[in-house]
Amino acid sequence: MPSSSLALTPGLGSFLKCLKTNPIDTSIETLISLLKRRQIRHSRSCATATAYLLRSVISACRTTDSAKLIERVQSVGRRLMAAQPREMVVGNIVRRVLGLIRDEAEDDRDAEFALSDIGSESQPHTPRAYDDASLPLDRDSPFRAEDRSSRPPLTSMFSLLSHPEPENSLPSTPGSSSPSGRFTGHGPSKDVRAEVLEGIGEIIDELGQVDDQIAAYALDHIHSNEIILTHTSSTTVQKFLLKAAAKRKFTVIHAESYPNNHEATHATVSGSAVSDDDNLGLEAFQKPLIEHGITVILIPDSAVFALMSRVNKVILGTHSVLANGGLVAAAGTRVIARAAKVHQTPVVVVSGVYKLSPVYPFDFDSLIEYGDPSKVLPYEEGDLVDLVDVQNPIYDYVPAELVDLYITNLGGHAPSYLYRIVSDHYRKEDISF
Amino acid sequence: MNRKLGLRRCVGRLWHHFFFHKMVEPSNPAPTAPVSPPVSSTPEQATLATENPPQTLPIRDSKPTQPTGDAPASTDGATDKPLTAAELKKKAKADKAARRIRQKLEREGNTTGSTAPTPSVGAQPRQPNTPKKDAAGTGSAQKGPRAPPPRRGSGPVAQTGSVLVEQKKKKDDKKVAVFGHLYGQQRRVTVGGATKEVHPAILALGMQLVDYTICGSSARCVATLLAFKRVIESYTTPMGTSLARHLTTHLSSQITYLSTCRPLSISQGNAIRALKLFIAGIDPSTPEASAKISLCEYIDSFIREKITVADQVIADSAAQKVQDGDVIVTFAGSSIVKHTLLLAHNQGKRFRVSIIDSRPLFEGKSLARDLANSGLDVQYSLVHSITHAVKDATKVFLGAHAMTSNGGLYSRVGTALVAISPTASPSTASSSTRLPMPTSSYPWTPPVSLAVPTPDTHAPPAPENKKGGNRTPAPESPVIPHKTSSSPLADWHNTPNLQLLNIMYDVTPAEYVDMVITEMGSLPPSAVPIVHRMVTNL
Repeated sequence: MPSSSLALTPGLGSFLKCLKTNPIDTSIETLISLLKRRQIRHSRSCATATAYLLRSVISACRTTDSAKLIERVQSVGRRLMAAQPREMVVGNIVRRVLGLIRDEAEDDRDAEFALSDIGSESQPHTPRAYDDASLPLDRDSPFRAEDRSSRPPLTSMFSLLSHPEPENSLPSTPGSSSPSGRFTGHGPSKDVRAEVLEGIGEIIDELGQVDDQIAAYALDHIHSNEIILTHTSSTTVQKFLLKAAAKRKFTVIHAESYPNNHEATHATVSGSAVSDDDNLGLEAFQKPLIEHGITVILIPDSAVFALMSRVNKVILGTHSVLANGGLVAAAGTRVIARAAKVHQTPVVVVSGVYKLSPVYPFDFDSLIEYGDPSKVLPYEEGDLVDLVDVQNPIYDYVPAELVDLYITNLGGHAPSYLYRIVSDHYRKEDISF
Repeated sequence: MNRKLGLRRCVGRLWHHFFFHKMVEPSNPAPTAPVSPPVSSTPEQATLATENPPQTLPIRDSKPTQPTGDAPASTDGATDKPLTAAELKKKAKADKAARRIRQKLEREGNTTGSTAPTPSVGAQPRQPNTPKKDAAGTGSAQKGPRAPPPRRGSGPVAQTGSVLVEQKKKKDDKKVAVFGHLYGQQRRVTVGGATKEVHPAILALGMQLVDYTICGSSARCVATLLAFKRVIESYTTPMGTSLARHLTTHLSSQITYLSTCRPLSISQGNAIRALKLFIAGIDPSTPEASAKISLCEYIDSFIREKITVADQVIADSAAQKVQDGDVIVTFAGSSIVKHTLLLAHNQGKRFRVSIIDSRPLFEGKSLARDLANSGLDVQYSLVHSITHAVKDATKVFLGAHAMTSNGGLYSRVGTALVAISPTASPSTASSSTRLPMPTSSYPWTPPVSLAVPTPDTHAPPAPENKKGGNRTPAPESPVIPHKTSSSPLADWHNTPNLQLLNIMYDVTPAEYVDMVITEMGSLPPSAVPIVHRMVTNL
């Protein structure tokens, strides 16, 4: 990590640095103030910061009692969410960590109740059961982290099979569990905390890889000679398109998303993007689409409707996704989605599962954040500023019916199916903690 | 008022152009000038027709090493004697290739360069004298026979060639392929190259059109007519022709000039057509002075009837649609919407206006300023917040550039985005709720044959338009360099594969328009062809 430059501007980089050196309470305060001041902005940065913070919180929390652990995480989580209620990923990560702790606690309880020798073996089994049952596609570790939350049904099914014939399961374990190496090491009386920390590590891994995993689906959705319309400078979308660009030729029409994100969009489009510090410099090494021979047409936002008749597919990034299939995305997204609807153009939303929030929106206005009005009407026009009411919403709520497909790191889903993924990832008791 | 100001400015600008143009003009051809001499430089080069253009380029760049073409002859003579003509030729080729490589190196080395003698022709006799040339010559003589120079030579040649081609391509592919049909002829940027027939008023108007000082359907129409009035005032019929015959051609050259500045709007086209028709109807026997007077009167009455009065009628009937407590959304800056809202405000109605604006022209800003200064409650936002602005709107007023005969609304780009956004608030009345759209009927008033300007503007009301043929945007697409000083886009012209597109108009499908307010009454959009017919049959 390029440390020297990052430390100067408050953001994810400086926060991670401070997390290493400062006591935990200071770090919590730092993150809260960063969130409040919007110095950490992007969903992924917020999620990463939260995950790292919770990891240190848990490792600093010297207890083996899972109830106390849950309580501690909940209290920290509440403060973080209160600091920036519209940054829903923070809540999502907190919920997933809570789910992790609960899972581990339940596992331990199961282990105590079960026969002593089987109890010790049940742990190595679960991950394997998982790999087999849910996702043969995804072999990477991050999945286990999130899939852990949906473990209870699987565990019980597994124990259904394994309990009647304990002698059978014993010989099978060494072979089956060796591929998933790190899980073999668990001792019989494994500390809950250590397991949770490991789980958080996997969440962090997932956050790092999520864009690449989503991009893996690109070739299924982008075909040769298509015209793709996109909006804002979302790195998820860029990676998605880049992946497809390696194999296919297509055209990208990029709406510039004036006034909140146009500079970043211009930089992305022309390839002169300086990695801003929230991106952790990961994207700095990425070549822009134009260098892959992809024609990129930059248009003002107002021309979206006029061009929509030529567009084959609209691919959008998002800020967060809600359980009803709607999404909160950069302002202007809704009108683009609506124009696509008018032209019957499919709208594809790419988003990591971590953006999926168990919140059902009832009050749309509360989801919308308003930004700096001087971007709409600069203060140089002082006379006008005095007379006129200026609005600059940063987000739009896009209802589910305007979206045709979600692509997450788990694959493609219809908007109506999202509630199912939500229930897979978050425990009911954590949804409103 | 405004118009007068504009004219005054236009005269000022004109002088500016007259003075500076003389100085600017030479600089225009300047870049092209150096290109031509090398091409025709030497006979040898001319023979190698295929390689020629690429190789001329480096030569032009490096004056000192310019006289390459002649070198082979001299060096050959010095070193080898018994060579057949074919061999000689081959060798010459090889030498040249080798030298070209060296030139390249040299060029990198010496930038300021020796006081390189004049290009091309004069170089021939002098060449052996300059030390550098000698070095080059001997070097090539040694190298020539041994190495496989033609190959080596062909490498760089091919390369430079491809570079050239690529450059050309780069320039070409700034035209967005999907909208290739929208790029007409090159847009004019200066008054340079205008024929002497073009009247100063027209020159000035052209420049105002180019930089969007005069923008908007009716403004362009009025400005054009006023400029034509001045043209007619200063017009004298040449000997041997009649005014009715010659003035039309005289005007045509003015019109051609205008259309190179910015493609003519539909309103301009219709006005011009009406004017020409009137000129054609003038009796050749009328004396010139009275004919000119009647023409000027005709222009005045056209502006008055078709634009000024029509605007008032429309504003009157549109203002009636405004009710107390309304929230009225409008897009960009339409003059007729402004009249309507001001009129409704003056009638004592209390309502709120929400203006949506867009890059790059920001036409809504002046509308917002005007409305706010007259005491209306104005909210201003950009395209990205359409959904928020439209959310509590009760009516949407949109200005029209023209109506397509299938009821589509042809207007400033972005209008369609506003029109398709559902206004959430349940408003009282039936059809007038969503989109009363003031437009005067002059866009289609005089004889509009359906095949006139572009297929986009007046699409035949056929099922074909569902395919999007008529929903495509505009007859013009100025790619305005986005005003982002020192932004990453500053160099977009040289960035391969990156294109900017900035279209000016879009077409809102008829189903999103509830009502068309014209000076002939308020109609559903399906009535547009009927109005068109009524007007044309008059």
